[in-house]
This record gives sequence, structure tokens and C-alpha cells, in this order.
Amino acid sequence: MMRVGSGWRPLAAGVAFIALGGCASQVVEFHRLPPDTPAADNAADIAKMQRLAAAAALAQKARAPDPTEGAAAAEVPAPVTPAEAPPMKTYDPWGEVNRFTYRFNARFDEALFLPVANSYRRLPSPMRTGVHNFFGNIAEIDSFINYTLQGRLGRMVRSVGRFVINSTIGIGGLFDPATKMRLPNAPTGFGTTLAKWGMHPGPYLVIPFYGPSTLREGIGLAADYGTLYVIDPAWIYRGNLSWGLFVVHAVDERASIDFRYYASGSPFEYETIQFLYVRKLLIEDGGLHRQKPLPRTDPNVPAGE
Amino acid sequence: MNKFLSALALAALGFCQAHAGDASIPPPAAQGPATGLADSAALRATVFGTPPQDIAPLPDKVPLLEMDLDLPWRRPIPAVFWFDKRLRVWLSAQEKPAPLAIVISGTGSDGNTAKLATLRAVLYGAGYHVLTMPSPTFPGFIVSASSTGVAGDLTQDGKDLYAAMGVIIAHLPRKVKITDIDVLGYSLGGANAAIVKSIDEKEHKLNIHRVVMINPPVSLFSTVGRLDKLFARSIGNGDAGIERFYQQLYSELANLYRASDRVELDEDFLLGAAASVLKTDAQFSAAIALTFRIALTNVFFAGDLYSGAGVVVDPKHPPRVGDSLDEISRRLRTKTFAEYFTRIFAPYYLKRRPGSSVESLVAENRLDVIGDQLRGNADYYAQTNSDDLILDKAELDWLRQTLGARIVVYDHGGHLGNLGDRQQVADMLEMLAGRWQGGSR
Repeated sequence: MMRVGSGWRPLAAGVAFIALGGCASQVVEFHRLPPDTPAADNAADIAKMQRLAAAAALAQKARAPDPTEGAAAAEVPAPVTPAEAPPMKTYDPWGEVNRFTYRFNARFDEALFLPVANSYRRLPSPMRTGVHNFFGNIAEIDSFINYTLQGRLGRMVRSVGRFVINSTIGIGGLFDPATKMRLPNAPTGFGTTLAKWGMHPGPYLVIPFYGPSTLREGIGLAADYGTLYVIDPAWIYRGNLSWGLFVVHAVDERASIDFRYYASGSPFEYETIQFLYVRKLLIEDGGLHRQKPLPRTDPNVPAGE
Repeated sequence: MNKFLSALALAALGFCQAHAGDASIPPPAAQGPATGLADSAALRATVFGTPPQDIAPLPDKVPLLEMDLDLPWRRPIPAVFWFDKRLRVWLSAQEKPAPLAIVISGTGSDGNTAKLATLRAVLYGAGYHVLTMPSPTFPGFIVSASSTGVAGDLTQDGKDLYAAMGVIIAHLPRKVKITDIDVLGYSLGGANAAIVKSIDEKEHKLNIHRVVMINPPVSLFSTVGRLDKLFARSIGNGDAGIERFYQQLYSELANLYRASDRVELDEDFLLGAAASVLKTDAQFSAAIALTFRIALTNVFFAGDLYSGAGVVVDPKHPPRVGDSLDEISRRLRTKTFAEYFTRIFAPYYLKRRPGSSVESLVAENRLDVIGDQLRGNADYYAQTNSDDLILDKAELDWLRQTLGARIVVYDHGGHLGNLGDRQQVADMLEMLAGRWQGGSR
């Protein structure tokens, strides 16, 4: 997910307004897209299938505890019963504003963000990977702080290890040798920290320029950005180039997300995404408290409240 | 927004195209060829699709141009469909003159699905310009290109598709030189493709040469009847059945996630989870039935809105942009294909086709409305599987008798479960090139 700061909004809103206001009427509009790469995609699918098969085979064996999660991980998690599933209705008291924001995001994305991201996708892959790795490495600082706050020391050490390795051997984070050294990327943030501390997701919230979230995750995003702004690693957040780097970061994140607003063609897209997003969050929350039974759900209380 | 959303949706729908299940669950042995009904292997093939290692050779790069078209005959756009104003299609053009292959998507799908991407790649690799189009049951098509708004009528949808193709071809980039036009389609798109060619035989506007139907239905109403039954048996009708299915799926995913050491519920997790969650025939059936039922939701809603039937939408107070659709969506999730036919489709078409009856509407939505053309014209071809769940034995026999040597029936693959594999692609290209010698596989 991209991190977008408040200063970006007026500028982007202005550009989006201009872009939206300039749509000409004609029978056909052409949009050149990045080419499909079917052979490489299929090779990646084959590799993924092999990886999943290997993971499935490992799961067949006796499950070894994750050493980074401490001794507690060896305990058998309490099973979730169907009755504990949250209601199908989602807690969305700000629905009207959220729907407006969703439409705004869709229009902004179609008029500006996606075309820029598509142009960016035409750059050579190693260059894009380097940019992605660089920003991912900076985010390790936030992950390290939040794993500490969550009391997950094993993961905190992993995050520090990744940052040190990728900043040095990986030449300032442009490469990701840590993953090859079996230290895979596992970012976290303050939203997850709040969840670990027991905070519910809260009302569903669509954040301008960003997308689906909840109140808790929105607070988390602001805190994550604030943390990095205060630390200002490599003068990225407060230096002379901060705006340029910020835009590059946002475009890089957008280019890595395979989603297009209203590609579903469905007027129920808002409801579908809201439903899926909140269930994903609730399942992840349950994973943060693996050894505890889930709190009993009240069928009259919408999911997320 | 993130990849997990699409992956979560796909996992929930059973559309696990990364073939997680192939990796970890060996499909049970099939009952043998020509069962005419879906067995365990057919259900699994339908859900997981062709394993990537079995996909035909693919080119490295395929250029992609999106075309958004304004079609003059579309009906006034309901406020809640504001984003579907233009018909969106995708073109992959060769640098030199080449035949154009137009490919039509399956039920409820747009013109850029994973299945279409595979067909686009193999056709482009074989030297065709490729144009991929949504199904006439895709909401984007219903709003931007349908002259009725009530989708699902083979003839009417065929006319709308044919008219749209005419506009698209007239507005292709000038450098695209076409030497011939062929039309293909999978699932419902297969039947649409054949109808389009039959219209062209009368109107001669496009001069469509060959048609290949991939896993087409024969009777739309017997197919949707079968899908309704599949849904009722595997999930159950009414809110209670759907809620039970959701709770079961949620708890299984939550347990798998809690048992894993993952930080994020990501695409890989979901693909792996699909192999664990989907085990029994009933679960695979549920995934398939749910996929079709979700496609119906949009068709039902649009049809109700356009026809003014008032089943889920008050025609006097249609929803406005920004209105909550929660309640409408809750009501729609229990609607069946049968209800779409009896409450929206039939009343609409009975009113507009004097002398018609419910029986005649059912009969008009069978491929045998163009039986003579299929029988007598050597440019119609088909590919299907003996265990395709949208056909019964009588329908499969009808296809065989009607097309003779111009149909290939594979022993296994379920519904589209072998689309893109080496044999299917090789045969499809032979058919398109007019080199098909016939024969069962």
C-alpha cells in the first residue's frame, strides 16, 4: 500500500480536476497499455505452483515452531468455529462520505494515477525493482519500531537484519539480498500494533488517493508516515527532493498493484471491496492472537465495530 | 487497494488460476470418457483450470491497446452505472497485415480475463490481430452496448455484439490491416460467436470467415437450470444457506491463517488455502455455482433497472449515485437464474415479441436456432469436453451430430478446465486456419 501525505492532496486534486474537466467527446478513445508478458507470467506461475507444492509438502510434516515467534508458537491455535465468523454486514457509519471518496479515487486513478503508473511500468524491470526495494528498505525502520511495540522480538531482529544487509550488501537498499538469505520481507505498521494491543478495526474508511481502510488502519498510516517523517532516513522525507521522491514512491506502489477501479463493471464494487477488506483485516487480527479464542461475535453488531 | 482483494475474491469464488490445488491435491480418477456429467476430476479441472506447465507455448510480449467506445444505440445510462458509459475492448495488433481474431468472453465476464489473456497470447503468437470483447452479460456491455438492457437472449445479444463489432472494426487504428475475420468465444461467448456469424451471413457487413466455439452451451435455460440446482445442492437457497457457506469459508480461512506464521493474508496464502478449503465435490460445486451466481447478480440488477420490473429496484425511485446498495445487494444474493427468467427476462421479451410464449423463448435460446447453419456451413467449429458440466448427454450428442467432424470432444477438462493447453490450442489454430482434419481426442 502506498503512503500518501496530506500535502500531496491539494496538488493532486487540482491536476485531477483539470484532467477530468478536459475529457473530449468522441466515438473511440485509445489507451496504450504496457504489453502482456505471457511467457514470463507463465514461468512465474509454474514457479509459484512449485513453491506452493513444496509448502504443502512441508505442512504435511510435523509443524516446527517459528523460532522468531518464541515458544508460544508451538501451542496449538484455538480453532475458529463458523459461529465465530463476523456478520456479513460491515460497520460503515460513514458510508456516504466513503462512497464519495471511492468515486473520487476511481476518477483520479483513471485520469492520472493509473496512466502515470502504466508509463512507469514500461521502464526496465531492474530499475523498477531497485526503486521498489529502496522504499521497502526504508520501511524496515517503521517495521522494526512496530515489531518492538508489538513485543515480537524475533520479527524485530529479522527486520533489523534485513535493513542492515540490504543497506550494505544491497547498496543502500537497491537490492534485496536478505530475502535470498532466508530473511523474507514481512512489513508491519502501527495499525497492526494497535490491533495487537486489542483495538478493533473500527468504522470502514476510504482514504482519499489511497483506498480502503478503517479508522484504526488510518490512524496507523498517519503514525507510520509521522514516524518516518520525524526520523527522516536519508533525508527523504524532509530534504529538498522529498516531493519528487514521494511521487516516485506513490507511483511505484500504484504500479505494483494489479487493480483497476470498476473493471468489475459492477455497481456493487464498493460493497464487495468493503466486505473483503474488512474480513481480511479481521482474519489477520485473529492471527495476531493465535493462542486466544476469538472474542464471541454478536450477530447484531456489524463486522469491524 | 491491493492484490489481496482480488485474490481473496478469486479464492472465495474458486477461481484459483495459480493452480494451487494441482500442486497439492491429486484429482481423483475420473469415471472414464464421455460421462456426460461432471465427475470429481471435471469439477476440479473447472475450478483450477489448465496447470501452467501444460499451457501451450506463449510469446514473450503481446502489445495491448485499450479501446473505449461510445455506441449510439445504448440506452440512457442509469445513475449507478456512471462508470460503464463506454464499451471497453482490447486490441493486440500485428505490425503487418494479418487476420483478425475476435474473442468473446464467458458469462458475466469482461474482455480482459485470464482465460482471454491466454487465448490472446496464443492467437497473437500464431500471427493474428486479436480483439477481446466482454460477454453481452457483462454489466459494462449491458450498459454501453445493449439495446435492451435485459441480457441473456441469444439473438438480441448477438445483434448487439455484431453491431458493436462493426463500430470497433471501423475505428481500428489505421495501421491495422486486416486480411480476414474469425470469431471465437468460450462458454456462453462460444454460443454468442456462432450467432454473430449467422447474423453476418445475412447482413454481410463484416464477412466473418470461421467461428470456433469453446465449451459452448446448447440450451441456455437447461444450463442455467443445472447451475441453479448445483447452487441449491451445494450451498442451499435463501439467506440461511448463503450465510452458512460464508461462515464455513470464513472459519476455515481464519483457522488456516492462525495455523500459519504469516504476517499478511496475501495472495500466496489464499492460493495455498484454496487447496485446503476445497476438498469435496460439494465444495468444488459450491465454488462453481457461486461464481455463476455472482455473475447473475449484475445481470439481474441491470435487467430489473432497465425493464422496470421492480423486483429489487423500485422503478419510480431508482438508486442514485452514492446511495447505499447494501439492501439491494442483500436481496439479490438469493435470486436464482430461474427467477431472472420468470420475473425479468420473460415478461420483458413476451411484451416485445408478439405471439411469443415462455416455451418459444426457451426454444429460441438454444443453439439449434442456427442448427441449419451449424450443420451445413463448414466454417463453424467447436471444442468441448465429454465431462463439461454445462452440457448433458443429449446436448453433447446434438453437438456431435450437428457439427460432425467439425467438433472435437476431449475426454476430460470439465468446463474450460483445459483451455489453453497444448492440444486445445493446437486444434483451435488448425480449425481457424481451415486445416482441421477432424477426430476425437
